Amino acid sequence: MTTPLLSLRDIKKNFGSAQAVAGVTMDIHRNEFFALLGASGSGKTTLLRMLAGFEAPSGGDILLEGSSIAAMPPNKRPVNLMFQSYALFPHMTVAQNIAYGLEMDRLAKAEIKSRVSEILEVIQLGHLGGRKPDQLSGGQRQRVALARALVKRPKVLLLDEPLGALDKKLRSEMQLELKRLQHEFGITFIVVTHDQEEALVMADRVAIMKDGALLQVGTPREIYEYPETRFAADFIGVMNFLPVSVASGGYQGKEGPLIRAADAPELAAGSAAVAAIRSERLGVETQGENSLAGEITDIAYHGLDLLLHVKTPLAETPVISRLTADVAERLAPEVGQTITLGWSARDTRIFPA
Amino acid sequence: MTTDRRPILLMSPALLWLFGLMVVPCLLILVLAFFRRGMYGGIEYTFTLENIALVFDPLYAQIFLKSAWIAGLAAGIASILGYAAAYAIAAMPRHRQSALLFFAVLPFWSNYLVRTYAWIVLLNREGLIVNLARWVGFEGELPSMLYTEQAVVIGLIYNYLPFVILSCYAPLSRLNPEISEASRDLGASGWTTFRRVVLPMTVPGIATGFVFVFVLSIGNFVTPALLGGGQFQMIGNLVYAQFLTANDWPFGAALSMVLIMVMLGLLMAQATVADRASGGKAGDNG
Ligand SMILES: Nc1ncnc2c1ncn2[C@@H]1O[C@H](COP(=O)(O)OP(=O)(O)OP(=O)(O)O)[C@@H](O)[C@H]1O
Ligand SMILES: [Mg+2]
Repeated sequence: MTTPLLSLRDIKKNFGSAQAVAGVTMDIHRNEFFALLGASGSGKTTLLRMLAGFEAPSGGDILLEGSSIAAMPPNKRPVNLMFQSYALFPHMTVAQNIAYGLEMDRLAKAEIKSRVSEILEVIQLGHLGGRKPDQLSGGQRQRVALARALVKRPKVLLLDEPLGALDKKLRSEMQLELKRLQHEFGITFIVVTHDQEEALVMADRVAIMKDGALLQVGTPREIYEYPETRFAADFIGVMNFLPVSVASGGYQGKEGPLIRAADAPELAAGSAAVAAIRSERLGVETQGENSLAGEITDIAYHGLDLLLHVKTPLAETPVISRLTADVAERLAPEVGQTITLGWSARDTRIFPA
Repeated sequence: MTTDRRPILLMSPALLWLFGLMVVPCLLILVLAFFRRGMYGGIEYTFTLENIALVFDPLYAQIFLKSAWIAGLAAGIASILGYAAAYAIAAMPRHRQSALLFFAVLPFWSNYLVRTYAWIVLLNREGLIVNLARWVGFEGELPSMLYTEQAVVIGLIYNYLPFVILSCYAPLSRLNPEISEASRDLGASGWTTFRRVVLPMTVPGIATGFVFVFVLSIGNFVTPALLGGGQFQMIGNLVYAQFLTANDWPFGAALSMVLIMVMLGLLMAQATVADRASGGKAGDNG
């Protein structure tokens, strides 16, 4: 086995009595696009700042290619951080901002010049090299910040909510752009985001963070389809939760037939649990082992699809079923109508309550 | 028309006040520079450039240069001390900063004269500093510190230091700490970060403080009179003497006019520095 590029060993950070990062252990591999996903205050920025060298860990170790960098000052680490606020130097032009890090590496003037103009082309800002940051749009500034970190060709590039300030359309363009650049430069990216969709779209692997600890690390598909905890299930996508109790051969809801699940954890018979079903797996025409009847209370139109809110006897809150546009058009559901939703046993996830 | 007139309305009382009670009287005095001095101190209303020419007479030009030197020295030292103090204050935890700033401007709350007299007590031949030196064990004759050029410079620095602290603190406290961190992240040492990022971004504060101290110092006449002794003259004392003892208002006006020109020139230079640091035009490479 090759050594991982970056190893975090039980990294902790306390601010006074508050614990911002509570013992994170994970490995990040070469050329990986890794996303850290978590709610606000879950410790994502603190973790990145420890990797960049701006916070000293209260415990644990950080290894880069097998050797500890925990005590190395930020200017000596082959790691660059793209700040949430971009932190461009306002008194320097775009080109000077980008050249700054190369000058610190004491590269020859000619080389600096060619690398700066090369990366300006890559980020499609070749014509704006002479501008000051406050003469740029938000999206342009974001690209300059990215270029400034990328041009140093660090071993690891840390990005703290790189797309946070952009509008939705620009965001999805930049998500692909980031992926393209990561591929092109062959640099390991660690991206912090609290946008779950963004994490799924961009990353090779996603880590879900909660209260300073990692809940689950896996590929986007693993995280989405096989969440290990109820929190992870709830955090990503639209998930329906039905309170059940464990019975033999299935799970008993408040009423009706047993709910079937294909693979489920071993739970004591009679104990309380929750059955979770993704909204897109819960369909009007879906054939499956399970079915559920209820009354449509609300219909939310989303363009590409339609979300039906269906009040059922099994749960307090209405369950949500996602219909694609063509199905919705054919069925023409109406509020007040009673419908039956079906889903397959394969798509039931069971968590202890 | 939909132009908003409110800003003009809000500004006008202050502008009228400044114009009516300051600019107009100043102009009235300044035009005197172009008239002849009367035989017994009055003013003879015939046009002349003699007064202006006299300002550039080596005798007076020298006092001008001396004043500029002393004001420059005071402003330079005050800028360094003030910037360092402001930097330290801005680096403190937020909740401490206002208390520290309060202490920095505390001297302003006492009378200028009282503060300057206090320095006489300190610098005097039997004063605190000399006594302290004796107590520490220094033997022999100590040079008199009072009534020297250094005493004047010290007095000026002491009096105007709070201005510099305030003018440097403003940009330093506004500096986003992530900007310095970005510089470190890109491989710069702490010193390089200071030299290439922090200093250029806060230089307008230094320029403002420097010009402030310089302008206030070059025209000052209280500190040189009290700490410099009777013989020591700065341009402020000279102007003071023309109006109040020599009774030569036209020459006093001529001196003032040149002084005001120097000050305006400096204020303009400072405005340019501030302008350039805050962004400037596209494509201007520094
Ligand atoms: N310098 C600090 N001093 C004290 N507490 C801090 C400090 N920095 C962060 N914290 C605390 O640590 C916790 C984690 O903060 P962090 O900034 O890492 O969260 P985050 O996941 O990046 O959140 P967001 O998505 O809002 O950016 C928070 O509770 C925060 O209040
Ligand atoms: Mg954050």
